[in-house]
Amino acid sequence: MNLDDLSKKQLLEMARRRNLRGRSRMTKQELVAGLSGIPPPQAGAASATPQERRNLLNARLNSFVDHSISCNWRGAEGRPCGLPIIRSRDRCSLHGGLGDSDLAIPATGRLGFDTWPTVLRQLWLATYNVDPIGLDPIVAEMVWHVLNYLYFEYFRVEVEGVANIPDSGPVLLVANHGGAALPYDAAMLTLAVTNEMTAPRRPRIMATEVFNATPTLSHLYRKVGGVYASRGDAEYLLRTGKMVGVFPEGVRAFQKPFSQAYRVQRFGRGGFITIAERHGAPVVPVAIVGSDEVHPAVFSSEILARVVRLIWPSQRVEEMAVYLNLIPLPIRWRIRFLDPIMPSHSGSDPDPLEMLERTQEIRETIQKNLYELLAQRGSAI
Amino acid sequence: MRRILVTGAATWTGCHLIERLERIPDVAVIAVDEIPAPVPLKTEVRIFELDNAEFAHFVIDAAPDALVHLQTVDRSAMLGGRRAHDEAVVGSQALFGAIHRCRSIKQVVVKSDLCIYGMGPRCPSVVTEDTAFAGKRGRYGRDLEQVEGYTADAAAVRGDAVFTILRFAPIFGVDVDNPVSRYLRLPVVPTRLGYDPRLQLLSGHDAVRAIEHAIDHPEPGAFNIAAPGQLYLSRILRLGRRAPQPLPSRAYDIAIKGMRRANIYLPEHIKHLVQYGLVADTTRMTEVLGFQPNDAIRVAITNGFRRSLAPSGLQ
Repeated sequence: MNLDDLSKKQLLEMARRRNLRGRSRMTKQELVAGLSGIPPPQAGAASATPQERRNLLNARLNSFVDHSISCNWRGAEGRPCGLPIIRSRDRCSLHGGLGDSDLAIPATGRLGFDTWPTVLRQLWLATYNVDPIGLDPIVAEMVWHVLNYLYFEYFRVEVEGVANIPDSGPVLLVANHGGAALPYDAAMLTLAVTNEMTAPRRPRIMATEVFNATPTLSHLYRKVGGVYASRGDAEYLLRTGKMVGVFPEGVRAFQKPFSQAYRVQRFGRGGFITIAERHGAPVVPVAIVGSDEVHPAVFSSEILARVVRLIWPSQRVEEMAVYLNLIPLPIRWRIRFLDPIMPSHSGSDPDPLEMLERTQEIRETIQKNLYELLAQRGSAI
Repeated sequence: MRRILVTGAATWTGCHLIERLERIPDVAVIAVDEIPAPVPLKTEVRIFELDNAEFAHFVIDAAPDALVHLQTVDRSAMLGGRRAHDEAVVGSQALFGAIHRCRSIKQVVVKSDLCIYGMGPRCPSVVTEDTAFAGKRGRYGRDLEQVEGYTADAAAVRGDAVFTILRFAPIFGVDVDNPVSRYLRLPVVPTRLGYDPRLQLLSGHDAVRAIEHAIDHPEPGAFNIAAPGQLYLSRILRLGRRAPQPLPSRAYDIAIKGMRRANIYLPEHIKHLVQYGLVADTTRMTEVLGFQPNDAIRVAITNGFRRSLAPSGLQ
């Protein structure tokens, strides 16, 4: 990025992030001179501007594709595909260039509104197959791009410990759930992995059956990479070496009052850890700060839940929270990936008591790190 | 000389399977069905009601070496729900009763359908052969569960014979007249508002090849048979240039009833299929049975939507 092309406002923002002294009194030329002396920051670093983080991400994604050769896939009608191929493969990311891996590489090698006509053409002509669970790489890519504005500009997410995520093989991410009406934390967790990993993998986040039973959401959540939270789906993904993300607190996290923010709730039956153990998947605990403050719950009531059930019987809500605001608050988010817990005896069914202890241990680690991150973050806005 | 008895000879797969088996020199085909075959076959099709003891005695007297049970297709459009149920369930009961007695039968291949697994919001996204049957199945799915139950009972008694169950994905072909093909080929297709199911399909010729493969390579157990790949219904219709008409639940039911008046009959399980979709894992098909379909789903769709000259009337 050339500093001369930026407006003075953008330069001032960059100078603020890099702690350039005396910036408020500088002219545009002085700002450019002052900033060019400071080395550009690394990805994910707090001192980078959103635009810089975005450019770094696109440069990284672009290194996976080879624009000089176009994919030789032809459909039944004989239309050539024309997208750039994945490096050292002979196909693009839509037509088998990624093989069995769960890498998330955009079809054109970068994210941007200018790529939408190209990718929407592939979507309209339905030139590619979806995966068995229903992931649609094009829809996922477009949602990824749009949500990145939320990620970089609005929530200003900062990520630590990306190195703790294994580069390949089955992985289970276990995170704390936030009390928002919409699963912002699921989106931000997905983006944290895809935006910050060197070779971006796509985590498949598990969602309750409410998603399956709700019109429109029923297929949209699958297309962007969601998975129905069931033993069968988790086992299928881990068996094929994919990354799975799970919020074991479930709906409990949505119903807690604001006074309970960042108190990790009980972890259901903890079946997730048994499945991870059975398939030899490392468990990476994730602490997410920000999700609980986006939509503070004013109160939660059972009577309201009864009214909702009356109108919409397929919803199995027991308690219904009322939120302060409709538009999410511009909270600063912090996501920390913790040290992976390796499976102790891969392949065999583990001892239930040991699994319970381990679940508790994960919960306590996440809780401890949440408090640390909260103290570190300072002001929420 | 190998003697192969085929039930459901008047079905699409039945006719094509018999045509292929006739070409093999040392195979004698005995064809049975309740209705005469709509296309001319070299082999004479014996007309029997399957739920009649007379048929069971015919099987015992014929003493075949292998038996292919294809008369498990959904014939509710032709015979009505009650009669189709009797034919499938009671007919299979009689047939497997005969298999208990007839010691010459060394191999049995049963045609089943993926809709046996059931569909619903609480069903796993990808079913394997070991997945428990749950969710909504419709009358046809429940009938198939009973047929598979009889197969399991017979397999327990007849340890010396190989029982293979092939659970087919919806068969889609240009001249196939089964519920899914009928549904997809409507000029305006009623879909469920807010739902876009993932579907697997299988081309008709691959279905016939799969049965032939199962006859040649006896392998006990159940196998999901589907073409590689899966697509959302909206995209299948776009590939076939069909206009989807999204309807809310009640309006969808009314549309289905209206179509029944117009002689287009869609059974219950199609309704669940277009709401929740069904995708099965086919690892066992490729690795244990060793079968590989020729046509991927995209090819099956393109072929299925070709303009046909005349309807064959084969189910």
